[in-house]
Amino acid sequence: MKAIHPPRHVVGRPEVCRLCVKTERRSASQQGRHPAHLCANALLTTCGTNATQGFGLASVLPPRCHCTQAPPHSTYTMAASFWQSTQRRFWIFSKDELEQIRGKLREEDQGLVQMFPLPEWRHLSIYFNQQVNRLGKRLVIRQQAMATAQMYIKRFYTKVEIRRTNPYLVIATALYLACKMEETPQHIRLVVQEARSLWPDFLTLDISRLGECEFFLISEMSSQLILHQPYKTLTTLQSDFYLSQDEISLSWSIINDHYMTDLPLLYAPHIIALTAILLALVLRPNPVPGSQAAGMAAAQAALAQAQGARGLGSGLGSGQTTPGGAAEKESKTNEARVGKLQRYAAFLAESNVDIEGMVDCTQELISFYEAHEQYNDKATRDQINRFVKARGLDKA
Amino acid sequence: MPFDVIGQATMESDDSLASYPLSCYEKCPIPPRHIRQLDEIPFPSRPYLDYYPADRGINAGYQSKVRVIDKYKVIGFISSGTYGRVYKAVGRQGQPGEFAIKKFKPDKEGEQIQYTGISQSAVREMALCSELSHPNVIRLVEIILEDKCIFMVFEYAEHDLLQIIHHHTQNPRHPIPPATVKSIMFQLLNGCQYLHNNWVLHRDLKPANIMVTSAGQVNIGDLGLARLFQKPLHSLFSGDKVVVTIWYRAPELLLGSRHYTPAIDMWAVGCIFAELLSLRPIFKGEEAKMDSKKTVPFQRNQMQKIVDIMGLPTKERWPHLTGMPEYGALGSLQPPMLHHHSHHHGSKAASASHLEKWYYSTIGAHSSTSSPSSNSSLSSLGQEGYKLLAGLLEYDPDRRLTAQQALQHPFFSTGDKVSNNCFEGLKTTYPMRRVSQDDNDIRTSSLPGTKRSGLPDDSLVRPVKRVKEA
Repeated sequence: MKAIHPPRHVVGRPEVCRLCVKTERRSASQQGRHPAHLCANALLTTCGTNATQGFGLASVLPPRCHCTQAPPHSTYTMAASFWQSTQRRFWIFSKDELEQIRGKLREEDQGLVQMFPLPEWRHLSIYFNQQVNRLGKRLVIRQQAMATAQMYIKRFYTKVEIRRTNPYLVIATALYLACKMEETPQHIRLVVQEARSLWPDFLTLDISRLGECEFFLISEMSSQLILHQPYKTLTTLQSDFYLSQDEISLSWSIINDHYMTDLPLLYAPHIIALTAILLALVLRPNPVPGSQAAGMAAAQAALAQAQGARGLGSGLGSGQTTPGGAAEKESKTNEARVGKLQRYAAFLAESNVDIEGMVDCTQELISFYEAHEQYNDKATRDQINRFVKARGLDKA
Repeated sequence: MPFDVIGQATMESDDSLASYPLSCYEKCPIPPRHIRQLDEIPFPSRPYLDYYPADRGINAGYQSKVRVIDKYKVIGFISSGTYGRVYKAVGRQGQPGEFAIKKFKPDKEGEQIQYTGISQSAVREMALCSELSHPNVIRLVEIILEDKCIFMVFEYAEHDLLQIIHHHTQNPRHPIPPATVKSIMFQLLNGCQYLHNNWVLHRDLKPANIMVTSAGQVNIGDLGLARLFQKPLHSLFSGDKVVVTIWYRAPELLLGSRHYTPAIDMWAVGCIFAELLSLRPIFKGEEAKMDSKKTVPFQRNQMQKIVDIMGLPTKERWPHLTGMPEYGALGSLQPPMLHHHSHHHGSKAASASHLEKWYYSTIGAHSSTSSPSSNSSLSSLGQEGYKLLAGLLEYDPDRRLTAQQALQHPFFSTGDKVSNNCFEGLKTTYPMRRVSQDDNDIRTSSLPGTKRSGLPDDSLVRPVKRVKEA
C-alpha cells in the first residue's frame, strides 16, 4: 500500500489572510506553496471577486488575500465568482423557501395535483437521474454535463409545475443545453433521435419541439446557465487532504448521488464537496455492514470538533484527539485515516465554512440513502407516464 | 438603476429580497465589507423573463410574455453580422437611457422559421452576459425570447474604438490625445482582468468590439466568442478552430497552438494599444482562406507582418516555440526589412525587434507640431508606453503581461492621474453612431446579410471573421 503522509501539525509562520482576516499557519512543507490551499475562505471567495472595479491607482492594487496574488492562470483552481454568481444569488434557497415555492406551484394547479398524484421529489429526482444517465450513455456524454442537465431540470421545476410538462422532453432538452454549456455540443437531431428511441411513446422526431422547449428552459432559468459544481472543489482539494484514489472515487460518487436530492438547490457546491469528502473519509475503511453508523458518528464528531475548535480561536493544538470511537483500531490504514480526518478537522476549524450546513448535508445524504431503498421505479414511471398520456403532453 | 426596468416587470422581486436567507449571510465566510457589496446587488427573482404558463405554451407553442415591440421603440438599425442584426432603441415603459438590441438570426428551414436549437455562440453570450457585471464590460439589460428569435437588450454605447480611431484619421489626421489613450487602455485592461479572473476568455478583442459610452466609459462588448476556460472538458482548440480576427490574432494561435490562455486576449490588447497610437492596425495582414478540406491554413501573410516589426521569434525568447505545430513554416518567412543595415547580418539581426523604433517614430511623428514635453503630445507617453506595449506584444505567451500586471505597470502610475472618463478634458466631441432608418422593423423575418446599411464593420474595410463552429 502506498505510504500515506502522517498527520501534519499545521504550524509555522502565521500569516494573515487579508480577505478573510484570519490567521493562517503554514507548515514548513507548505512553504512556497500557495497558502490559499489551507485557507478555506480563499476557496470560497477566491481570486477576483474583489477584482478591480473602481478606478484610480488605488483600485489597481486592491486589498488582496494571498489567494488572489496572481498565480499563473493555469494554476487557478477555484471558480472566481461563486459569491457573485447567479447560482449563489438566485438559485440557492433555504428549505422553507423551497417548500414555499413548490407549495405555491401545487396551489396554482390544485386540480392537476389531486388528479395526478406523484411520489416525493427525491423519488422523481432519482427517476430523472436514471433517465438522464440512460440518454447520456447513448450519446456518450461526460458526467459533468449530465450533472448540469440535472441542475437545469431541478431549477426548471421550481418555476413550472411538473404536471404541465412532458418530463421526457424536458430531460432531453436539458441534456442538449447542458452539452452546449459544457462546450461538448451534440447535434439536436442526434439528441432527438436517441431520446425518441429511449422513450418512443413520449416523443416525436420533430426537432422543433426540443428547440421550443429550449426556449422554455432558458426563459425559466433567466438565461442563468453557468453552474458551479462540487466536482471542481473535490479535484482541487484532493491533494490537500491526501485523498487516496478510492476516497476520491467515493467522494465523486457521493457527489453524483447528491443530484438526486434537493441539496444542489440548498447549499453551495463547496459545502457539498466537503461533505462528500468527509463521508468518503469515514465510510471508506469500514466495508463491514453495520459500521456505517460508526462512520456517521465519526463524521458528526469530526464536524463537532471542528466547530468546537473554531470557538476556541486557534483551536489547532487542541484538536488532536481522535474523532469518534471508530478510530481506536490500530491498523495502519486506520491511522492514516485518522490523520486525514484530523487534517480535515483542522482545515474546517481554521475556515469559516458553514459547518451547520455540512451537518445538515450529511443528514440529508444519509436520509437519501434510506429513501433510495423505498424507491419504486415502476410506480414512479407509471405515475409520470399517466399524466403525460392523460394530458396529451407527449403530442405537443 | 440597472434593474429598474425589470423591477416593474416582476413585482415579486421585493419579496425575494426580503426572504433571501439571511442565515446564509451569517455563515457567509466573506467579510462584511464584501457582503455589503453583494447586498447592493438587487435580487430580482426573475430578472429577465416572464411569460405565460408553460402548459399553455407547450400546447399552443411557446409564447413570450414580454414583447419586444411593446417594451422598446426601435429608432434605427445599427449593424448586421453573421449572428444577426443590432438595432438602436428607446424604452416605451419609461426605462431611462437608450438600448442596443441584438437580434439573433433564426435558422430558416424552407420558407418557415423553425426552432432548430440555439447556436452555441448565442448560448455562450446569453449565459456569460447574464453572469458578468463590471463597469468595463457591456451591460445586459434583459433577454427576450420571442417568436423563435432571441433579443439581447444591452445598454447603448454611443461610440466604439473603431469609430474613434477612424475619426482621428480624418480632416486632417490627428493623434488621439495621450490622456484618452491612457484612460482607454486602463479601462480596457480593467475589463480584461475582470473577465480573466472570472475564467472568461474573450477571444475576439478588436476596436470594433470595444464600446465607449458618451460618458467616456469603455465597455468590452460582443462576447459571442467568449468562453469559460476553467477546466474545460476538451481542449479549447477542439471547439473552435479559428478565433480572433486575423489582425489581432496572437502568434501562438497563428502557429497552431492547441492550448491557449488569456494571453491571447492580451496580445489583442497590445495590438489595440498600437492602433490607438498609430491609427492603423499594427499588423495588417491578409487572411488566407480555409480550403475546401476545412483545414486551417498557416496564416503566412499575417505572421510576416508581425515578424516585420517584432523580428523572428526565437526559442531563446520563446522556449515552447519549437513545439508549435507550424514551427516549420516560420523558416519560409522573410526576416524583417525595416533595418537596411542589418539586412544580411544573420539570425541575430533577423530576430531583432523593431518595435522600439516603430513606437518612437509613431509617437514622435505626431509631435512635430507640438513641443515634445507637452502633455497633449503622444510623446508624453514616453518610455513607459513602450515598455507596456512591448510587454503586451511579447511572443512568449507565458511571459506576456497579464491584465493584472499590465494594470500595475508604471505607465499608469506616472504622469497625470488616469481618468475613468476617457473623454475628460477633450474639447472635441466625436460624431454619434450612425443609425439608418432603412430597417426599423425589428420583428420582420427578413434575414440579415442581404441588405447592408448603417455602418457595418466592413465599411472601413475590416476583415470579416467569425468562428466556424466545429
